Amino acid sequence: MNQKDKIRQSHLPVRYFGITFLVMLLVAGVHAGLILLLTMLELWSGVTAAIIIIYWIMMAALFVLITNKQMVKYYETPMKELAKATNAVAKGDFSVYMPPIHTADKLDYLDVMIMDFNKMVEELGSIETLKTDFFSNVSHEIKTPLAVISNYAQLLLRQDNLTEEEKDYVKNILSASKKLTELITNILKINKLEKQNINPEIVRFDVNEQICNCIFQFEEKLTQKEIELTAELDERLFIEADASLLELVWNNLLSNAVKFTDQGGTIDIKEEISEDTVTIMISDSGCGMSEETMQHVFDKFYQGDTSHAMEGNGLGMALVFRILQMFGGEISVKSELSCGTTFSIVLPKYYDYIKRKKS
Amino acid sequence: MIHILVVEDDENLNKTACSFLRSSGFDAVGCLSTEEAYDAMYNNLFELIISDIMMPGIDGFEFAESVRKVNKTVPILFMSARDDLPSKQKGFQLGIDDYMVKPIDFEELLLRVRALLRRANVEMERKLTIGNLTMDADAMTAIIAGEEVPITTREFNIMYKLLSYPNKTFSRAQLMDEFWGIDTDASLRAVDVYVTKLRDKFSGCDGFKIVTVRGLGYKAVI
Repeated sequence: MNQKDKIRQSHLPVRYFGITFLVMLLVAGVHAGLILLLTMLELWSGVTAAIIIIYWIMMAALFVLITNKQMVKYYETPMKELAKATNAVAKGDFSVYMPPIHTADKLDYLDVMIMDFNKMVEELGSIETLKTDFFSNVSHEIKTPLAVISNYAQLLLRQDNLTEEEKDYVKNILSASKKLTELITNILKINKLEKQNINPEIVRFDVNEQICNCIFQFEEKLTQKEIELTAELDERLFIEADASLLELVWNNLLSNAVKFTDQGGTIDIKEEISEDTVTIMISDSGCGMSEETMQHVFDKFYQGDTSHAMEGNGLGMALVFRILQMFGGEISVKSELSCGTTFSIVLPKYYDYIKRKKS
Repeated sequence: MIHILVVEDDENLNKTACSFLRSSGFDAVGCLSTEEAYDAMYNNLFELIISDIMMPGIDGFEFAESVRKVNKTVPILFMSARDDLPSKQKGFQLGIDDYMVKPIDFEELLLRVRALLRRANVEMERKLTIGNLTMDADAMTAIIAGEEVPITTREFNIMYKLLSYPNKTFSRAQLMDEFWGIDTDASLRAVDVYVTKLRDKFSGCDGFKIVTVRGLGYKAVI
């Protein structure tokens, strides 16, 4: 189409040919002149040879410098720019735009590539917007009837003329709708986090207290399963992070620890404090994970142990991973089947540590 | 009979919430708008208000503000689809007592309603009686089986708090934040020392026990 017609055929550009020819003439001319001059001066042949050689060395050097500069200007710099832009898009920034190198009537292949790149980024951006709009609108529409289902089910359970079997039916309706609600909530949360423009609300707070409070919420389950939980969280530990997001991390990890540890098992929480970071290790004596499961544990919708599939939705660990990524934190897992699992979470103590790390 | 006002423009939710509350032994009145609520409150006294935030006309925030102007103590619980911190902050700053995010689990609602009512009662009377123990917050006295027990201010406050929220676990940090000064450098272990003292002083009580939870916190179990 029109653009392709205007693309410069860069095999033997006339302008460059002309310039190169003239330059070569000039260089050769100077060489000839030098020879004449040196002969007239009746210098020693050795010196003459040396001068000629030095001259050609200088010309070669000049030639290399100039061509290199041209290469950098026309290829290396735009390529580096493109590489930077591509990197930004890969990280999720769909607002990237690269201006073409030449004006509209002198485009070359590189420019066409850049324009196609811009088109791709725009397309990606609009799909992303579609996805987030879809989620925030649809989720409300889904949550409302779900609430109706669970509310009426709860009301039904209150009736005293139901048979045991009927009560069981209603309980099933209730638990299924609860699962759905949890799934939608998790999808929403993880979706919100994946939008790059979420700014974490950084506050200074006592993370040990936060973990304690999360543990208290699991008290009933812990007692029911007779799980012994020991935690070295005796003193205050202040860090700078987004408290509500971090709370999700602890809730998810503790929920998994409780879920996968059998009756009478143990859960152990330890901490290591260094100058810039805090490492928190949550170990359980549960059923553990295989190599394969460990590799996929942070994937969305992955549930390694299908026997517990009814109790979860596979998004918890993906959410945890994403949250920690946002903070410049890390999570790793060590596990042995039938022995237990340890999750290690590294958190920066101060928010500017993350900024420093990123730069 | 305890009267609860439910202000919610979603008819379905309003109806089901009121039914649920009624079947739990309360008298629930449902209003579909704040205007209706004002009318209802003009003629009746309510012990607790449950309100939505996003409603046509006057919204929940304005409603809570206007209620607080005339009544500083009635417990207000917000029910809202908005799960963001700013909404919650605004609500609590206006003086509400609890905030639940929709979709509402009615069993959870019930638990919170009961807790709010209990607290309101205790606050109103400023007295607490469990088993053979009576604590009077104005007089700062603790009486076990008719005999007064000497107790320091801090000891009283910790005990009163634990008993006002029975079965709720408090971490050491929470207790320290509330009852030690802001600038204290004391180790959290100081709380343990106090609890030991309290267990000793209140050993004669038959209505409750102070339980250590996982070595991380304490709660009063009735």
